[in-house]
Amino acid sequence: MGTEIFQHGILMLDGAMGTVLQQRGLPPGGQPELLNLTEPELLASVYREYVAAGSRVVYANTFGANGLKLAKTGHAVAEVVRAAITVAKEAVAGTGTLVALDVGPLGELLEPMGTLTFERAYELFREMMEAGAQAGADLIAIETMTDLYETKAALLAAKEATGLPVLVTMSFEADGRTFTGCTVASMAHTLEGLGADAIGLNCSLGPDKLALLLKELCEHTRLPVVAKPNAGLPDPVDGHYDMGPEEFARALLPCVEAGVSIMGGCCGTSPDYIRALSAALAGKQPGRRRYRKESFVCSAVTPTPLTGVRVIGERINPTGKKRFQQALLEEDLDYILDVAVQQEDAGADILDVNVGYPGVDEVTMLPKVVKKLQSAVSLPLQLDSSNPDALEAGLRVYNGKAAVNSVNGEPEVLDRVLPIVKKYGAAVVGLTLDKGGIPRTAEERVAIARRILTAALSYGIPKEDVWIDCLTLTVSAQQEQARETLKAVRMVREELGLQVVLGVSNISFGLPNRALVTRNFLIQAMGAGLTLPIINPNQKEMMDAVAAYKVLSGEDESCRDYVARFAGETPAAKPVISGNSDMTLDDAILRGLKADAGRLAAEALQTESELSLVENHLIPALDRVGEDYERGKVFLPQLLSAAQAAQAVFEVIRTSIAAKGGAPVKKGKLVVATVQGDIHDIGKNIVKTVLENYGYEVVDLGRDVPPETVLNTVREQGVRLVGLSALMTTTLPAMEKTVRLLQTLEQPPVVFVGGAVVTPEYAKQVGADHYAADARQSVEIARKVLG
Amino acid sequence: MELNIDEALRYLGAGRQAPPELRREAEDTARRLTARLRPRYTYRVFSLERKDGVLRLPEADLTLPGKDAQTMLSDCGRVVLLGCTLGVEFESMLRAEQARDMAKAVLLDACGSAWVEAGCDEAEREIAARFPGQYLTDRFSPGYGDLPLSLQPAICGALDLGRRLGVHVSERCLMNPSKSVTALIGISDRPQMARIRGCAYCAMRETCTLRKGGTRCGN
Repeated sequence: MGTEIFQHGILMLDGAMGTVLQQRGLPPGGQPELLNLTEPELLASVYREYVAAGSRVVYANTFGANGLKLAKTGHAVAEVVRAAITVAKEAVAGTGTLVALDVGPLGELLEPMGTLTFERAYELFREMMEAGAQAGADLIAIETMTDLYETKAALLAAKEATGLPVLVTMSFEADGRTFTGCTVASMAHTLEGLGADAIGLNCSLGPDKLALLLKELCEHTRLPVVAKPNAGLPDPVDGHYDMGPEEFARALLPCVEAGVSIMGGCCGTSPDYIRALSAALAGKQPGRRRYRKESFVCSAVTPTPLTGVRVIGERINPTGKKRFQQALLEEDLDYILDVAVQQEDAGADILDVNVGYPGVDEVTMLPKVVKKLQSAVSLPLQLDSSNPDALEAGLRVYNGKAAVNSVNGEPEVLDRVLPIVKKYGAAVVGLTLDKGGIPRTAEERVAIARRILTAALSYGIPKEDVWIDCLTLTVSAQQEQARETLKAVRMVREELGLQVVLGVSNISFGLPNRALVTRNFLIQAMGAGLTLPIINPNQKEMMDAVAAYKVLSGEDESCRDYVARFAGETPAAKPVISGNSDMTLDDAILRGLKADAGRLAAEALQTESELSLVENHLIPALDRVGEDYERGKVFLPQLLSAAQAAQAVFEVIRTSIAAKGGAPVKKGKLVVATVQGDIHDIGKNIVKTVLENYGYEVVDLGRDVPPETVLNTVREQGVRLVGLSALMTTTLPAMEKTVRLLQTLEQPPVVFVGGAVVTPEYAKQVGADHYAADARQSVEIARKVLG
Repeated sequence: MELNIDEALRYLGAGRQAPPELRREAEDTARRLTARLRPRYTYRVFSLERKDGVLRLPEADLTLPGKDAQTMLSDCGRVVLLGCTLGVEFESMLRAEQARDMAKAVLLDACGSAWVEAGCDEAEREIAARFPGQYLTDRFSPGYGDLPLSLQPAICGALDLGRRLGVHVSERCLMNPSKSVTALIGISDRPQMARIRGCAYCAMRETCTLRKGGTRCGN
């Protein structure tokens, strides 16, 4: 069967299964999918009633038939899915009704919220999809999703494991977001890009509340749109839904007018609702759709329509940055995240991510960095690599619609990269160069742009997703090229109507007062039609120029953002730096003044060595704060502020050493981990922050860490000290297991434990060497063991 | 709904003796948090059965073991199960804050605990208004007294928290997102004693290691 069933008129789905079963006296709870094995006749009667009420598609009873939920039942996924599809197919045989494999959420949160990895989620979904296809499902319905990342795993699995049409619906709250913050626009662009055949909304709200969101969805996708709402809202006292069949059907009519063409019901609905809906829709056609054809990228939580100038932050890139190179080689992902967060705070709209450096395996590094960034940064990413395998690995784990940087006019490059761009629904940057290098004239560059566009279209990539980089050359070396670049920008924008990208900073290389030249070029380029400048957003004068441009272009309506940006700004206002010239480095650390501490450390390095700075200033100052903390004179936030001021000093020291090419200052290595089953890791993170700022190298294994991982890390890296944390009584056994496992080593490391429910007695009982009540005590332990 | 700053400061081990700059920072954090997100909650009313001295909520398929539930619910014929959460948006906010500034993250964490409690208070007011002329017990949660944490999955299941609030409970009974609370409130015809009223009224408040670590037993 093809996707044509979604294309003509209105397609009627079914209503709820659970509600109907409960009406027939089945108690709630349990694992409803087991009914496929125990009560096939009951299920078959419900399917038949839906067919009689007008459903042309019924969802088989497989919502939670995944490996995670079935694990405890003793039944295999394939067995349950086969039974479910068979029951449904037999029930509707001869009626022309189609049977969908119903796929709901796995029931555990994915990373970064939970600990289920994207890859594992994919495998679990794939198992279901294969079983469904083998059992003869006609289509796949992924539904009730609230996490775009989990939805992506399911959709990829459906597309890669089967050739069946896939219908995907997610559940939104009245504020227009899912529980995980996903927006309607982000959902639409991401899922359409990944190749869903129809998308829509189900569950959580009644049709009246869902109507506005459905209208928005229709504007953001070309795909057929699905509505499967609840029968209103449940009454908290008796659990009954408040909308009857007629009211339900009436409330869905505005959705049909907005263009929704696939309908059904979710919680609280029954065959009566589908019958009422079928009657109300008889002879009706879905209204004309109004699709907003716009360029767009997004993370799950930040939809970014490219309707004006959007700044791409350039700082996640090792080129010419010793400290960044060191971070890549050491896999210091926290440093890279810090670079990202700074750019987000500075106002970047999209972040370019480049991790290419000799000695770094991009294919494994790029997805790692993508996962790390999307755990704490809300901006969409642009993956920047010349390695197609790395691009694919990065795109696969990206939660949203990303951009790819880049292809060029070379057919081999286009044929290798564009299929990947298409498969993952990304946007793509095309550089206007080819084997012959960068053409000298604007006309030749535009010709390459045309070639790139044609190739992209031939792969099914829409025009809105093709961005052209007209290439900035250094003006001090090739002066006439600045004008050619500007001319090419204008032509691509006006003649081809495409988004235009430029790496702006290159222009001023080799000149004094670079910022002035760069800023002037940026302004002229925006005037010529540049929409996506790649710049350093931490340079305030660049961002100011963008803000002013948006006022003049009319994009910043009523100058609102501009006024907000500059209102109340006094010329001398730099709140973080006190400017107090009497302040010493020790004071700055004690008072937690990060910027001052960094500045004073840089000054001190003129006359002192890095080591002396650590031994004579940093550590004594941290010790004083630690003692005050123990006496109850300062509290945890202040202790951490001081630690972070120390961090700023360490950054200065690291940069200084990296610039000289020396080995980093490190006092000794330890491993920290939050034990298996536990996801509360803020306590462990506090300990890590403080220890790092004493100069220890902390290998952070994260949370929910299996005992074997701790053991292997200790063994492989020859670590002598391990810190374990647990927050809940229910996870303490995992702590003991980890300690005992470490004791099986020939030379067991020293182990300290801590966490809310851990006591000194418990520490002794499980065989730990030390109990640490807080971060401060963990420093004392580290000193004893590592010096 | 109002976030109680003193409560947040208590989670940091500071309480009323907190230095003014710490209090100011906590207030700033609370303002940011409350402007960005509000606690979401859901509840349902269940009947309470007593058979051979065992307490059961038959519609929820839930048995309440232990002395403390018996004491708390001794006068009650019905029980409200309540779930409240700050959602994963808080988790994202906290992760981002940890990347920016650990000191502020610790403040945010404490404010989050106080904010989810404020959500429970709000839900409790709403429940009280639904039952005029009836009396509510103090609310209490799995982990309180001898009421085991192992009830968490059944309570989450009865409230359908995964679907209603996006709250999941792990095999080890941890709730995710972390700032999530489940609670029980008894409904009675007779006035009820204020047996527990959060950490401020808890006998363990001086020695509690949870509070010292910036967290608490209920969430």
